[in-house]
Parts: sequence; C-alpha cells; structure tokens
Amino acid sequence: MSVLKRKRGGQGPGVKAKKVKFVQNGMKPQITETEQNNEISVPAPVSMGKWRNKERVLVFSSRGINFRTRHLMQDLRTMMPHTKADTKMDRKDKLFVINEVCEIKNCNKCIFFEAKKKQDLYMWVANVPHGPSAKFLVQNVHTLAELKMTGNCLKGSRPLLSFDPQFDKEPHYALLKELFIQTFSTPQYHPRSQPFVDHVFTFTVTDNRIWFRNYQIIEEDASMVEIGPRFVLNLIKIFQGSFGGPTLFENPHFESPNTHRRLIRMATASKLREKQMVKELQKLKRTENKEVVTRDVTDDVFATPAEERPVHIELEAPAAKVVKKNKHKAFKRQRNQKR
Amino acid sequence: MIVVNNTMDINEDDEQLGETSEEDNSELSDGELQDAFAKGLLKPGLNFTTQEPKKIVNNVEGLKQCLADFRKNTLPWVERLDMVNLPADDIVAKSEGRLDNKASGDLNPDDDFQREMFFYRQAQAAVLEAMPRLQKLKIATKRPEDYFAEMAKSDQQMQKIRKKLIMKQTMMEKSEKAKKLREQRKYGKKVQVEVIQKRQKEKKAMMSAVKKYQKGMTDKLDFLEGDQKTAKGGAPAKGGAGKGAGGQTPDKKAMNKKGPNAKRKYKDQRFGFGGKKSGTKWNTKDSHNDVSGFRAKVAHGKGGKGGKGGKAGPGGKGGRGPAKGGTKRPGKNARKKMKGRS
Repeated sequence: MSVLKRKRGGQGPGVKAKKVKFVQNGMKPQITETEQNNEISVPAPVSMGKWRNKERVLVFSSRGINFRTRHLMQDLRTMMPHTKADTKMDRKDKLFVINEVCEIKNCNKCIFFEAKKKQDLYMWVANVPHGPSAKFLVQNVHTLAELKMTGNCLKGSRPLLSFDPQFDKEPHYALLKELFIQTFSTPQYHPRSQPFVDHVFTFTVTDNRIWFRNYQIIEEDASMVEIGPRFVLNLIKIFQGSFGGPTLFENPHFESPNTHRRLIRMATASKLREKQMVKELQKLKRTENKEVVTRDVTDDVFATPAEERPVHIELEAPAAKVVKKNKHKAFKRQRNQKR
Repeated sequence: MIVVNNTMDINEDDEQLGETSEEDNSELSDGELQDAFAKGLLKPGLNFTTQEPKKIVNNVEGLKQCLADFRKNTLPWVERLDMVNLPADDIVAKSEGRLDNKASGDLNPDDDFQREMFFYRQAQAAVLEAMPRLQKLKIATKRPEDYFAEMAKSDQQMQKIRKKLIMKQTMMEKSEKAKKLREQRKYGKKVQVEVIQKRQKEKKAMMSAVKKYQKGMTDKLDFLEGDQKTAKGGAPAKGGAGKGAGGQTPDKKAMNKKGPNAKRKYKDQRFGFGGKKSGTKWNTKDSHNDVSGFRAKVAHGKGGKGGKGGKAGPGGKGGRGPAKGGTKRPGKNARKKMKGRS
C-alpha cells in the first residue's frame, strides 16, 4: 500500500476538492444555494455532514501579556482544533464586550486571558450567550516548547478527558467539570480534527487548585509521556452569566496575588522594624543617666600582698634588642663541640 | 453601631480582590444620623462604623440550577470522551508495602514527584477504562504506520528534544566511565605499590640472610632454597648449591621438595647459568684422559658395575637421583661443606 499523505479532515484519496461539478452525496443542506451554479467549483463538505456538535471556542487575550502566556495560547489553539483566535482586547473595554466579540465570531465558548501588572495571569472560561463563567488565576505555566516534555501527538486529535472524583462531590466543581468538558473536548467529525484518540487531558483537584496535565498515549497498556502544556488554575469566582451576572460561588481559599505579595513584604518589613526597635532601645539605654557607684566591687581582685617598689621612670630608650636570626647555628656548634 | 453593607457590583471585580477599605464617613450626614436615632436604630453612646464580616458566596441551589440548564444531555459519551476516575494502582508503593493514599485530598502538593506520579496514574486509569469503550465504538487510538499527518510539535522541536536526551545520557555515561577509571587507577596503583613493597621486602630478607651466612652467623643455607641466585664475589663458590634451586621461587619450594628434576640438574650443571662459558666443563682430550676422579671402591662397590663402569666423568654422576643405595660417598652438599671447610 502506498504511502498516503492524508489531508486533515477526512478527505480520502478519491475525492477531488476542486472543480467538482456535481455535489457529492451526503452533503449538508446548507449548500443548496450553490446548486444553481453547477459550474462554480464547490468544495465538498469536508465532514460529510456528520459534524453535529457545533462547539467553537474563542481564545484570545488582553494587552500586556508576556511571552509565556502567548505561547500558552498558541499551544491551546494547537491542541484544540475547534478554537478561533482574535486580536488583543483593550483593557479599557468592559468585559461584557467579549460577548459581542464572540457573537461576531460565531463562537459559543470563550477562553480569555487577562494579564495584570505584567505579572499575574487570569483566565476566564465562559459559555458565551447565557451560561456560567468562571475566573481563575493561572500559575505554574509550562508550554509545549519545553524540552522536558517529550511527548507528541497528532495536531487536532481528540482528547480523552479525565477528572478527579472530587469534581463530583461539590456542586461548584460539578459545574466547572461540565464547563471544561464542553470547552476542551473536540467535537467528533470536526473538519480540522483527526479521528484518533491519542492523548489525555487530566484535571485534578489538589490543594484547592485545579491541576491540568496533558499526556500522550503511547501504548494500549497505558504507558504515557507528557506532551504539555501544563498549568494550575486557582478558582476565584463563578458567575451565573457570561462575564457578568450574580456570583454563584466564591472561593474562600483564594488569596489574591496582591495580598500574597503584600504579606511577604509585611513579613520582611516587620523583621526590619523589630531590628530597628531593638537598636533604639539600646540607644536609649546608653543615654540614660547611670547611677554613680561609689565603691568598685572589683577593686581588690588584684590586690596582692607585696611591698611597694619605687616607681622607676625610664628617661632613655632601652637598648635595641639584638635579633639573632640564626640562633640555632650557635646551638649546633655547641652541640658539636660537646661531642 | 452602624453596620454598613458594601454592595459590590460585578464590574468592580478588580477592586473586590484587593483590601476592603473603611467606609467613608462623609456619606452619612447629620440629618440621616438624626433620623436613624429617631427610628431607634442608633443607641446612645459612641458609635462607630464597622464592616460587615465578608460573606463568601456559595449559592448551592443556584449552582445546581445553572448546571441543570447548562448541561447538554443530548450529547452521547463519544462526543465528550470524559471520565471520572481515581488513579491506577501504584505498583511501586504496593511492592514496598506502603499505604497508597488514593484520594487526591491526601496528596501533598509540595512533593513534586509524588504529585506528578499521582496525575500520571490518574491518566493511566482513564486510558485503561476508556480503551474498551473506544474499541466498542470503533474509534482508533493508534494511528497506522503509513498515516502521516501534522503533529502538534514540529519535527524540529522533536529533534531538539531527542538531542537533549541523548546529550544527557552521554554525559551521564561519561561521568560514570570517568569514575570507574579513577577507581581502577586507584586500585591498580594500590596493587602495584603492594607488589613492589613485597619484592623489596623479600630482597632485603634475602640479602640479610646471605650476609649472615657470609659472616658465618648461620650455617644453614635454607634461604637459598627456592630463591634467586646470589651474586656474592669473594664468597666461597656456592654455584653448586645454587643450581639445585635455580629458577624457583620460595612458593614453589613446598611443591618441588625433591628439587628440580634430574634432567634440569644435569643441564644446569652442564650449561651453567648463562653468560660466557668458562670452558671448564668441556670434554677436551685432557679431560677425557683424566682419570684422577676415579675411585675404584666407589666404582666397584656400586653393585654390579652399573653401566659403563667407573671410568665415566665424575660430573655426570653428580646429582642423579636421590637414592644412592649403599654408597659410602657423602652427598654433594656434604662434600661442598667439607670442601668449604678445608
């Protein structure tokens, strides 16, 4: 069998995309308008009409992101073929503008990255027209390009999603699970997808955070290698509406990065302050009036009973000491003489 | 005490995350305060404003309702491919007899290796569970050998990764080799030093023994047995004694108590110890005709005039065989001693 270079999206070797005069069987009813002009070349519907689950995710960011976030976004777009990209959003616009952007792009899910202070990265995952949305703080980002992630997978292959049992225990986690499933799973027969299932996304809840990992399935006996990207999501809030609406859930364990930095600064500052206080106290002690002690307790420690000698003041400098460099030679000669 | 509620709008999300600030007192005018006092909300005494303890929203009902609305129940599993599973069995921990804590809550997030292994095992369990289901639905998980398609990471990237891995491996191997080499050298050096020392010790002992013999302190020539030849000029000729032990080490002494075999002895006697032959052992006309070494008693008393009679050269009979069977002639060593003494 000859080597086939298979085009993404299910076109077999026998199908010619261009200059098809007759539309193929099993086409979608949407292309009825072109039936009138049979001379216009109509590309055959790539998915052969089987693509039903129309999920489209818009992945974009605000301004001020750094290279790691940009790469992370690119990696997400590589991993998920049902995503679309958009230009950076200005910070001045309110968040509900995103809903309109999504509508224009005909997307029903959105992943929006927001960078604050060029340090903190926040991620919004939302179901755009009516559904719930969630805001996360993203930490520990590692991208596809890292050399320690040695796995590889087909571009656009469908992922298996694996969730921790904790996702079923709490209602807010259950909602998040549903949101993740709908956002991250590639629809079957998506035109840009590959029909194989060769990698796994895992979501685990540990330390009140959600850890995301991506593994390549090498063998059927479940030997795996990590592909990347990987990140940790710290839930902040869940809203009933898309990028707005009443708050459904607030994470009590969440500590904003600002407070975290502030705490660290306060800790170092308090240490410094303590040191200063100690110094001040010492200064005070030194300057305060000390009472005069009449009798010195240690006066008679060195009192040795011996007669007094007249004080002899030397008016002339003492004779310079003769430095005998080679003292030992004298001794040696003496020793030899002795023998 | 006036308790003030800070109603927060969703658009002021960012401020929420920071510190809560104290209420601005200028909002409450005197008139309002008077009204509140009249209504009985205020009590006499010093009043000051505090913040309401922050309520953390956890609208369980709302969440459940939202989930019910949001969930797409018409989607079959094959569209979603989601699983909920605990991690697979940890073979290593089980073999070590350690308690494996299955729940993710027990996981220590700071222990990197344990945490990553936990995630790995979770993925493994998912794959093991999903494989039969996918096979039933006829979805392939392995791509065929001739299926070429774009990969998530480019070939260039994979090359880089491979190079790095190989480099790491080679570096490790190199360091291992270097370590082994160093160890070997150390060991070799040690062994060499030991051997040299041993040899030096032996030599010293030998020399001292020889000196002792020379000086006449000992009359035993045991030290020569199984030893190298001595090179003492001026000392009485001990060539004969040395011949018996030529080429043997002390270790072999026990093995060859009979000394070198007769053939060896004969050859040593005949051909000496190398170097220019002095020519004293040649069979010349004179040596052949010299019968001064003939002892009639010895020749006849040997029991049957063995072989060629007593006229054979005396050197030939020298050390042949240990058993002489009734000869009165003293042995070679004895003769040497006598020779030395006289």
